[in-house]
Amino acid sequence: MTAVVTNTTQPLATANAKATRLHGLLAEFETPGDLMHAAEKVRDAGYRWWDCHSPFPVHGLDAAMGIKRTILPVLVFGAGATGTFTALGLQAFTNSFSETIWAGVWVTGYPFLISGKPAMSLPAFIPVIFELTILFSALSAVSLMFLFNGLPQLYHPLFKSNRFRRASNDRFFIVIEARDPKFLPKKTEEFLKTLDPIAVEAVED
Amino acid sequence: MAHASGHASAHTADLLSPENIQLPAFALGFRNIALGIAVVGLGAGAAIGYTESFGTTSAHFWRAYLIAFLFGLTMCLGGLFFVVIQHLVRAGWSVAVRRPAEALAANLRWYWILFIPFAVLWFMGKANVLWLWADMESMRANSQAEYDIVIQKVAFLNPTFFWIRALVYFAIWAGLASFYVGNSVKQDESGDITLTEKMQKWAGPAMILFGLSTTFAAFDWIMSLSPAWFSTMFGVYFFCGCATAGYASMIIITLRLQQLGLLKGIVSSEHRQDLGKLLFAFGMVFWAYIGFSQYMLIWYANIPEETGWFLARQVGGWGLFSFALLFGHFVIPFLGLISKWPKRFPPTLVVAAVWMLCFHYVDLYWLIMPEIPHDLASFDTYAAMADKYSDTPTHFANPVNFVLVFGVIAIVAAQTISTLSRVALVPKRDPRLADSLRFENI
Repeated sequence: MTAVVTNTTQPLATANAKATRLHGLLAEFETPGDLMHAAEKVRDAGYRWWDCHSPFPVHGLDAAMGIKRTILPVLVFGAGATGTFTALGLQAFTNSFSETIWAGVWVTGYPFLISGKPAMSLPAFIPVIFELTILFSALSAVSLMFLFNGLPQLYHPLFKSNRFRRASNDRFFIVIEARDPKFLPKKTEEFLKTLDPIAVEAVED
Repeated sequence: MAHASGHASAHTADLLSPENIQLPAFALGFRNIALGIAVVGLGAGAAIGYTESFGTTSAHFWRAYLIAFLFGLTMCLGGLFFVVIQHLVRAGWSVAVRRPAEALAANLRWYWILFIPFAVLWFMGKANVLWLWADMESMRANSQAEYDIVIQKVAFLNPTFFWIRALVYFAIWAGLASFYVGNSVKQDESGDITLTEKMQKWAGPAMILFGLSTTFAAFDWIMSLSPAWFSTMFGVYFFCGCATAGYASMIIITLRLQQLGLLKGIVSSEHRQDLGKLLFAFGMVFWAYIGFSQYMLIWYANIPEETGWFLARQVGGWGLFSFALLFGHFVIPFLGLISKWPKRFPPTLVVAAVWMLCFHYVDLYWLIMPEIPHDLASFDTYAAMADKYSDTPTHFANPVNFVLVFGVIAIVAAQTISTLSRVALVPKRDPRLADSLRFENI
């Protein structure tokens, strides 16, 4: 294993003493197994603002990081149900003969009378109900995923690190951010070095 | 890494020990119990049919037997479908749960035997208690209008061609089952990777044959019960039933084996979740999608020669029955199995599987039992027709329905246990077994 090196241009402990602010500490690992073991220790040390970076999905990493299950499915179900009832309500409303108050105005529906079907014909409504359920679910799934992940994000401090470029190729990284309540530059650096990384590097904002 | 993989293969050898992947001898006791149930069930069914007790007419008896026959058939065809499609898409995850499906599919090698009673019915000259077109003259006497339509279909709907087709279906199913089960079991001994390649190579044609044979079997055996009526969607609807029954049976077999302490460390909650997903997708979502697509086109077009089939299913007791089917086959299990944990937790998954098998029976009953009234054209309004047929009974509670279907299920169960007791419970030398053991949903 390579000896631990630190960024020569930026002594770790003084990183946040300069004009730029410290974003966090980056630890580099050679294998997904090393990453998993390190992640378990970071989790057990009680850090909260930290993340793992890997070129491919690593099975079991969520558990190693102690990530809770997302509530996204529950929200998507709610959005889908909203779509169902929106479509049902919309069609019932537009097919009604009676006057309804809508946005402060009294309006009547515009029922289609086709082949002797009653205006309130559930089978005819189902395709629209189906489509709106899917549409609401899909749009909310994608947009909530963006929201929860803080996307779109056009800039990230990690992209300044040359070392981090290999995160999309063959290296595995753990970043502990400076905003973590348990983060202390020196102590966290010492802690990361105990995890057997190839290197530890400070990353500036 | 050398250390890690060495450890993994030693672990795999433990998993594939006979105690974990061989059915213990006492399982044959279950087979004998099942055989006993089969004899009692089919015997009681025949006795009720023969003595016409509980008001069982011969038309009701033969329809009840057709339902029971198709119930067992769909379980086995569902297993065959699963096996073939896994080879078709070269799936890795499913190897750990493929053997139960193969054991179900293996029944197709003898399942033609259960069709013999229909041959007997034909020789007795009473085939028209089921398939009205088998006796065109009596159809003409009953309903000239129906005769005028059906007479144009006799090039297809005639006894000779019907029996040739039935032989072709059974030959296809027995052939495919022998090929896929036989080669998979052979691989347990030899570990020969070319067997997998061979099964994959033929999976495409096999799937086409499977699709055509199940579609036409559905046309012949179910749709032609109402010979004037037609729906091009009908074959897909029947296929949905095959997938429902197949996945539900696979889940029940797999979980039962695990309950006996087998397949430990081989079948995980990841595999259970995927079987649950497939049951959810085919048994609930796809079934509702196909069923509604068939209904909506007919409802919208509102052409008398098409709507009669659905009218027969919404008058009298059938109205409530259809709603029970809609909620029992779709709405309730859809909400029950939609989230992740009920698919991974064995008790909820097995409840869902048993539930779906029950409603698969209800679905077949709904397809086969109602008869379209012959005097539909004589009513001025729908209300007048609905009023006349307002007390049409479904006869669902007639014990002959249950003894026959339990008899057939018991035969299938007994034969499936026999097959499983002769082979390993996983394809132990399949080249993708290691992939399957490592499988995780992301």
